[in-house]
Amino acid sequence: MSSDVILVIVVGTALAFDFTNGFHDTANVVATSISTGAARPSVAIGLAALLNFVGAFISISVAATVAKDVVDAEVITPTIVFAGLIGAIAWNLITWSVGLPSSSSHALIGGVVGSAVAAVGFDAVIAEGLVGKVLIPAVVAPILALAAAGIAIGVVYRIVGRQRPGVVTRGFRFGQLISGGLLALAHGTNDAQKTMGVITLALIANGTLAAESDPPTWVIVASAAAIALGTYSGGWRIIRTTGTRIIKMDAAQGFSAQGAGAAVILASTNFGFPLSTTHVINGGVMGAGAGKRVSAVRWGVAGNIVVAWLLTLPAAAAIGALAYGFTAIFGSGALGPVLVTLMSLSLIAVIFTRRSRRGAPLPVS
Amino acid sequence: MSATIVESKELLQTVVASLVAGVGITVVFSVAIWGAARFADLSRGERPTAAAAAAGLAVLAGLVTLAGVAYGIVIVASK
Repeated sequence: MSSDVILVIVVGTALAFDFTNGFHDTANVVATSISTGAARPSVAIGLAALLNFVGAFISISVAATVAKDVVDAEVITPTIVFAGLIGAIAWNLITWSVGLPSSSSHALIGGVVGSAVAAVGFDAVIAEGLVGKVLIPAVVAPILALAAAGIAIGVVYRIVGRQRPGVVTRGFRFGQLISGGLLALAHGTNDAQKTMGVITLALIANGTLAAESDPPTWVIVASAAAIALGTYSGGWRIIRTTGTRIIKMDAAQGFSAQGAGAAVILASTNFGFPLSTTHVINGGVMGAGAGKRVSAVRWGVAGNIVVAWLLTLPAAAAIGALAYGFTAIFGSGALGPVLVTLMSLSLIAVIFTRRSRRGAPLPVS
Repeated sequence: MSATIVESKELLQTVVASLVAGVGITVVFSVAIWGAARFADLSRGERPTAAAAAAGLAVLAGLVTLAGVAYGIVIVASK
């Protein structure tokens, strides 16, 4: 009975995390299309939410990585997964509060690793999986998107540079409906799968699923719905802050950035690499900007992303470990997770109330 | 060690696929736009044969772009 209560709390917390992931990622997915005039905000956000939902169904490779390749599922308990989620959510809120562009994907993995280490020790961590499937791709992917977008925009300007600007702009705006849709699809498939992976991990830990199981259909549907609802809800609040955050771009740059970002995310998803989708999208935007004029890019944003990248995994891990330690004080029953949930909800309410009055941007994932 | 080698191979494949798809799709689509722009210019200049060739190139490049996008999605979905 107690373990089932914990499991329900874990599933609810994971879906809430997924919702917030979509909520604060909307701008990253649609800002490029909107800022170049390729799509109206209502169209871009509605399409992004729909394609986020669809994208969650096209692969489970990333979910498998999160569930099986980062921590040892055989020694994990639902309480460990819960504490990891608390670590991720807390770090997201902290970074949102100070305006640091952190990755909720990295926070999620950091939180689960931290709580697993606190509960079981370093033996719970699958080092090869963490390094090979999370850390290295996390470094490579944004650089790859930057390079692909930079090369692409350089060639594009050579091809269409002497043509009438009106035709070229209209053409690339139309193209952005495809590239923007592909980016939303890619975002849905990589990010929703992280939540699927965490819920699957909790179900395996609880004995509800056999080890090595894939996510059940209800987990896939719930995760897809949560991220899509978050995407649809989040767009209206943060669209203004991200539209021209890194660079003011033309439609060709927007197409190049979205195409490169989508290509990197989809290729990574194919091999089960859980990425920070926003770092990849921002890499693409910077590449497309630098391909035209290096000084046009606000490199300070890139610096903030690097700082956030360095801090997120260890910080979320530390909070996840603390959350597990606090929960363990109350034994192995449901009391600890219930108390932590109530405390977290209170803290979230306070932070949201204070921060929303100041109109701060949300963190990225 | 073997797991690291496998992941290195997968990472390398990811790098190659990302560059080929990210650069390739964008470049092919820009060829479609070039064709459309040339078609508009040549039509105004009353050069119907050249205009038709430019339009054909635009349509072909557009179809290749769509095929590339569809192929990428199918690859990810089929794994």
